[in-house]
Order: sequence, then structure tokens, then C-alpha cells
Amino acid sequence: MVPTGYVLVLAAVLFLLGLVGVVLRRNVIIVMMSVELMLNGVNMTLIGFARARGEMFGQAFSFMIIALAAAEAAVGLAILVAIFRTRRTVNVDEISLMRH
Amino acid sequence: MSFSLNPADFVHLAPVLFLTVWACLVLLASAIGGGHGRHYGLLAILGLILSGLGVALSWVQHVQPATDLFAGMMVVDRFALFLDMIFIIAGILTALVADAYLEEHRFTEGEFFALLLLSISGMMMMVHAGDLVMFVIGLETMSLAIYALVASWPGQRRSAEAGFKYFLMGAVASAFLLYGIALLYGVTGTTNLAKLAGVINGKAGEPLVLVGMFMILGAMGFKVALVPFHMWTPDAYEGAPTPVTGFMAAAVKAAGFGALLRLVAGLFSADAWTFGSTGWINIFWVLSVLTMTIGNISALRQNNVKRMLAYSSIAHAGYLLIGVVVVGLDPSQMGAVLFYVVAYAVTTLGAFAVVAWIGSRDVERTTLEDWYGVAKHHPAVALAMMLFLFSLGGLPPTAGFFAKFYLFKAALSFDSPQMLTLVLIAIANSVVSMYYYLRPIVAMYFREGASAPKPLTSFSVYWVLGITSALVLILGMAPDATLAWAAQALMGG
Repeated sequence: MVPTGYVLVLAAVLFLLGLVGVVLRRNVIIVMMSVELMLNGVNMTLIGFARARGEMFGQAFSFMIIALAAAEAAVGLAILVAIFRTRRTVNVDEISLMRH
Repeated sequence: MSFSLNPADFVHLAPVLFLTVWACLVLLASAIGGGHGRHYGLLAILGLILSGLGVALSWVQHVQPATDLFAGMMVVDRFALFLDMIFIIAGILTALVADAYLEEHRFTEGEFFALLLLSISGMMMMVHAGDLVMFVIGLETMSLAIYALVASWPGQRRSAEAGFKYFLMGAVASAFLLYGIALLYGVTGTTNLAKLAGVINGKAGEPLVLVGMFMILGAMGFKVALVPFHMWTPDAYEGAPTPVTGFMAAAVKAAGFGALLRLVAGLFSADAWTFGSTGWINIFWVLSVLTMTIGNISALRQNNVKRMLAYSSIAHAGYLLIGVVVVGLDPSQMGAVLFYVVAYAVTTLGAFAVVAWIGSRDVERTTLEDWYGVAKHHPAVALAMMLFLFSLGGLPPTAGFFAKFYLFKAALSFDSPQMLTLVLIAIANSVVSMYYYLRPIVAMYFREGASAPKPLTSFSVYWVLGITSALVLILGMAPDATLAWAAQALMGG
């Protein structure tokens, strides 16, 4: 059996990779995928802890998070479509009318 | 963990469920009856009033807190019921303003009000949460609806951009929040707040708990716009349709602080809060000073009234953090904090109602130059705005004065030098803030406008201005009744 520590470290790496993607990537679609990666890091952490404790609660919680991620993607993509209609771009740097 | 569903629990959930169902009905009505100019706001208000009656009924019949609803997921205590009432009243006032505003700016109405109701149901879930899972679901229900509301202005680039920025940063904040919760679950084996409160003081020094708590704190700081997590606030507040901005500044902030009080002040015992022990209080002290000072200094140089009020709301989050510290040290002081939340929410809703009122189709009129000479053409509205700005600044005889007075009095009751410094910094900040609160007043009263403003003429906006200015005066001259209610609204009470 894989030790829990490995699972947790892998989950942390996933989370950090997602965070780096959010900060560095300029394409909005990739940025949203990176957020999903962060959430999957969280899911893996929960599942790792649940396995170590021998209970199902972590798994149940991670299903909630999967549902939340789906809802989040729906709203985010809808807003992105609204932006794309007026600007024809998905580059984060070009979406900046307001700066004071 | 055993789980058995008790049908009687649904009675307590009724106001939340009702709002959710009502939101779907509003959507359905707009799908059948067309999207524009049909006053779905009135339908939404009817739903809010009915839900509010349910909340009022459970406040009146409340004998003891119910903590074990849905296997501990939901808590019904007077603290949560009091905040429910704030959300519902803020929702009604917002719907009244929006009714006129949306018609003027050609929104499709059905979705707007449905999202408003859904976000309120999310807020209610959030403050009723007895478990971190429930808290996250409430927070996301609220946030997703608010992201969509911010971006809901059809054809406006700024609105979509504001919504997107808010969404993206909010999504990252949620990921941090969830990671923090996962770490707490890993160390303690539970996400139930009551059970966590029992074990967390003994594990407060463990690195995973510390990291988890900091992640949760950062995410909550994002939601209530604390410095240094406030970067989204001015853009989102400026780009959003003005009624939504007012709703975010009043209700979303109240919900965020309600949840923060429940999570942080409820989780740690008073010992963990005192200066010099594990030192949670020091973190809040620094956050509070940073938030109010940077909020106020940034507001000083704004010529856009909407943006200025956005920074002002950041500064007020700083004052409210004093309240979080106070409640952490002594939970019985909750009344002063909740009174501040009420006074701030009413005043902000009024101020943003004036900002929504002054714009006409495709012209927002939010810079100071646009406000020149308003007092000459519309003396009553100018007077109301002056009242709101005085209240935000904390001058008597307005609600803001007593709110600050009771909050600072509660903070000084601990007789510690750190609290004294905190209050002194807050008072210095209030004095500085008067400068930028006076600027719109000077613009309205002492400058000549090039052209007369063509504001919204619908009566619903004037209703809101009348109600909020009356409340600001009543809270400012006879605060006792509200204060007595707020004092009953204890966590677990």
C-alpha cells in the first residue's frame, strides 16, 4: 500500500502546479484549467486523509468539491463568453479596462 | 459517522429552501412572461418578505439553539437568525433600487432577481453552518450568484470584466479555503465546528493546523476584502451594476463577517486570543490596522464616487475586524459588532442607492464633476446623501456614530494597551476619512453643474432613500431597541 505521505505530497504538488498556472499563464481557458487542478489537489488531499483514517467522509466531501468545481466552471465560462463577444480575446492581460 | 434524516429538521431550513424555490419560480415567470420591464423585482420582494416572516417567526419562538440539525450540519441560533434578517432586508432594498435601475439600463430582469434570491439563500446557509462542508456550500452558492450578478450588465465591457476578475480570484480563494479545510480535517478528523472547537486549542501549534488556518483566514479575508486580499474590490465594485455593488458592500460583507465570527471567534477559546499566548489576536490586530489605513488612504485620491465608496467599504472592514477581536476575547460583546454591521449595511445601501439614482441610460455619472449642483435641483436626495456620508464617517446624529461608539467602547472594556492603540488608530482613521466623505457633499452643495442631472424617476428608488435615511436617523438617535436585539444575537444563544 502506498504510504499516505506520498499521496499528500503529490496532492500538494498538484495544488502548487495549479497555482503556478494561474499566476503565469495568460490564456484564460488554461487559467481556469489550472484552478481545476488546484481543486483536484484538494480532492486528493481529502481522499488521502480519509484513507489514512479508514473512513468515507473525505471521499464524500470530495464529491461535493467536484460538484462545486462543475458549477464554478459553468459560471466562469459563461462570463468568459460575455467577454469574448465584445473583445474577441481570451488573453488575461488584454482584459483590463479599469486601472487607476 | 452515523446519519439519520429527521424530517422535523426541514422546518428550520424552510426560509432557505423557500427562497431557492422562489428563485426558480421567478426564473420560470420570466421565461413565460418575457425578460424586460415586467417588475419581477416585486415578485422577488414578495418572496423575500415571506422568507423574512419565517425567520422572524423562528426568532420569536426561539428558546434554545438547535445545533444537531442534519447531523450537525446546520445550527439555528439567534446570531444566525439576526444576520438572516439583515440579508433579507438588504435584499428587499436592493430589489427596490434594481427595479428602477434595470428598466432604465435595459437589463433582462428575470435572471437578475433569481440570482439575487439564490445569493441570499447561500448567505443564510453560510451563517447557519454548523460544519465546514455546509459553510463551503453556502459560500459558493452565494459567490457564484454574485459573480454572475456582477457580470450581468448586457453589452457593458466593464461589467463582464469586473465579473471575470472577481470570479477568477474568487475561484483561487475558494481553492485555498478548501485546501485549508482539508488540512484541518486531516489533523482533527472532523469538519464539525462544535467538535473542532473542542480539539483545536490543543493542536493549535501543529504546522498543518497553522497552515490550514492561515489558508482559511486568507480566503475569508478575500471574501470580506481585507488588505492585502483586497485587490479585486475596487474593480469589481466599479464595474458591477450599482445595485449589485450596494448589495455586495452590505450583504456579502455582512455574510463574510458572520462566517468569520463563527469560524475564527467560535473555533478558538478566549485563551488562544489573548495577547502573548498563541497570538491569533496579533494577526487580526495587524490586518485591522492595515485594512482601515490602506482603505482610507486609497479612498482619498478617488474622483469616482463608486470607487471611493469601494475603498470606504474596505476601511469599514478594518473597523469591523476590531469587532472580530472583541468577540474572540469576550463572546458576550456580540451586540456591539452586530449593531455596527446593521448601521453600516443600511448606510451603504442608501449611499449606493443615490449612486444608482443619479445615472441615466448608458451614462453612469459617478465622477465628482457629475455631482456638481445636485443640491440645487434635488435638495432632498442631496440631504439624504449627506446623511449617509456623515454616517459612514461616524458623525452624530447618524447610525455610524453610535456604531463606532459602541464598537470602540467594547474594545476599550478590555483595558489592554494593544486595544487602546487599535482604537486610537481607528479614531485617527475616522478623522482622515471625513476628508473624502466631505468631497461629494462639497460637489453637491457648493459647485455649479454644467447641466442638470436626469436621474431615475421611479418611486421605488425614492422609497429606498426614504427608508434608509429614516433608519440611519433612528439608529443614530434611538439605538437602544436595535442594540437590545443585537445583544440577544449570541452564537449558540
